[in-house]
Amino acid sequence: MAWVTWRQHRAQVIAIAGLLVALAAAVLGTHLPIQAAYHRDTLSECLPPASRSGCDIIVRHFQGEFDSWATALRVLAALPALAGLFVGAPLFARELEHGTHRFAWTQGVTRRRWLLSKAALLGAATITAGVVASALVMWWRGPFDTLEGRMSPSAFDIEGLVVPAYALFAFAVGVLAGLLFRRTVPAMTATLVIFVAARLGVLKLLRPHFLPPLHRTALATDTGRQTGDWLLSDTLVDAAGRQITAGREDLAVLHAQQAGIDPHAYLVSVGWKRVISYQPADRFWTFQLVEAGLFVALAVAIVLAAIWLVRRTPT
Amino acid sequence: MNAAPLDARGLGKRFRREWGLRDCTLTIPQGAVVGLAGPNAAGKSTLLALATGLLAPTEGSISVLGSDPLREPSVLAQVGYVAQGAPLYRSFTVADTIEFARRTNARWDDELVGDVLTRVAPSTKVGSLSAGDRARLALAIALGKRPQLVLLDEPFAGLDPLAGREFLQLLMDGVAETSATVVIASHVIADIERVCDHIVLLTDGGVRLEGNVEELLESHRILMGPRRPLGEIRGVRSIVRERYSGRQLTLLVLVDGPIVDPSWTIERVGLEELLLTYMAPERLPTPKPPERVPLRWHG
Repeated sequence: MAWVTWRQHRAQVIAIAGLLVALAAAVLGTHLPIQAAYHRDTLSECLPPASRSGCDIIVRHFQGEFDSWATALRVLAALPALAGLFVGAPLFARELEHGTHRFAWTQGVTRRRWLLSKAALLGAATITAGVVASALVMWWRGPFDTLEGRMSPSAFDIEGLVVPAYALFAFAVGVLAGLLFRRTVPAMTATLVIFVAARLGVLKLLRPHFLPPLHRTALATDTGRQTGDWLLSDTLVDAAGRQITAGREDLAVLHAQQAGIDPHAYLVSVGWKRVISYQPADRFWTFQLVEAGLFVALAVAIVLAAIWLVRRTPT
Repeated sequence: MNAAPLDARGLGKRFRREWGLRDCTLTIPQGAVVGLAGPNAAGKSTLLALATGLLAPTEGSISVLGSDPLREPSVLAQVGYVAQGAPLYRSFTVADTIEFARRTNARWDDELVGDVLTRVAPSTKVGSLSAGDRARLALAIALGKRPQLVLLDEPFAGLDPLAGREFLQLLMDGVAETSATVVIASHVIADIERVCDHIVLLTDGGVRLEGNVEELLESHRILMGPRRPLGEIRGVRSIVRERYSGRQLTLLVLVDGPIVDPSWTIERVGLEELLLTYMAPERLPTPKPPERVPLRWHG
């Protein structure tokens, strides 16, 4: 089956390998000026605890120069979906669409073995591609991670273990969708929808609660500095701990200004403070493990469902 | 193995709304070359798909070489199946396709394939093969498994008569070596008439007629005579079909003894005519008077 899988899917494998090569080239080309700037400004001395004065300015300058690149890199969050769209979804859908399953599934290999071998080999290829992409991104983002941390979704989602896990999940969804929809394009569409829904669902509903978030209070006037933590919420509360709406805050500031009092001093004097809830930067690998485990478990469950289904699928 | 190559009991398959096959009970004898005849949409492809486990029966059961093709798919290693239109991977070369079959079948005979493929270059893409060559390739792969049962679904569709004849020749040469049972589904009876020794006729999803070709031809006769009220005819078990044309009456009958009434002209029946008669609907629709279309002035 290894030869069969390779012969049938080599175009996809080569395309993904090509994509990775292109990514590597882009990463290499853009990383050099960043690395140079990082060393030129000796930014490493500005890592907390900062041992230099004027670090704020240096860091801000560095970020201003390269943040657009880091933002551009965030589109890579969509990369794992490709495994589902172009490898997973056509796996069954193309055979069923062209009727070639009548040829393939009536040879001496049972459908179940056919699916198992293909899922295992292509799944392994998907994971490999995910690991390579993740490693490239982590290396590129090295300077940003040391400055900004990697706990916030913009970095978390494209680094570490979750990238291959997302890819494997997308692949599994594609396989099942292909089996259910039996047409390539609807299967691809369903794969994309389910992948995005699962990713957003986990990001918004589950990930903030993998571990109980930590809370800290800050002065009402604190603008909040970058710490590498993942900020979940940042609310203004009064002395009794009740939440203050933005409207009330504006009103209070207005009153203070009309009374000729410094608004900042006024807010502090009435005992208002900010309560910040966050996930600390040092939970990165724990969260990566949990989220990757979750998606891998989902992928395995989906492949098992496909194996169960393929025996009884009507043609 | 003594189990029948193909054995169906009360087999039925319902698609969304209608039955593709219903209450089908038949046993195909070992070593027979079976013509699976019937008009389009009679259930021929459905029966073959059920036999290869591509479909699951809605009711009843089917056993292929003694195994349930869905529960014990390993039996498919002994079944050579060519689906309608001979589906193959169009992007594969001929050599790739054969390699595919070699790798997905434990039992594989290169010699049988080589015999069949003397005409096409191995580096030709399957998608650019002629219909005849593609059918030959599909057949070669089915035979390369050294199957005990060969199932062919409309193999002559799209083949010119010469290619069809060559196809049959290859098939018969191939199975002569292995003494496999062959089932050929076709709606064109002339295509299978020359080779099959057993007939299964499907109409509207059910078995209409089944049996050995010689016995069927021996037990049916055509009677022709002047028009008359029909009563009991000595030697006739039942009347399959009656047809009037003017003063002439033509009957297809099932006989159970010599017909002695000299007013009948008795003729043997050909296979094609026999099957077509059975295929025709029970009552032919009465022709409607032509509708009167009012003339209209277009100007």
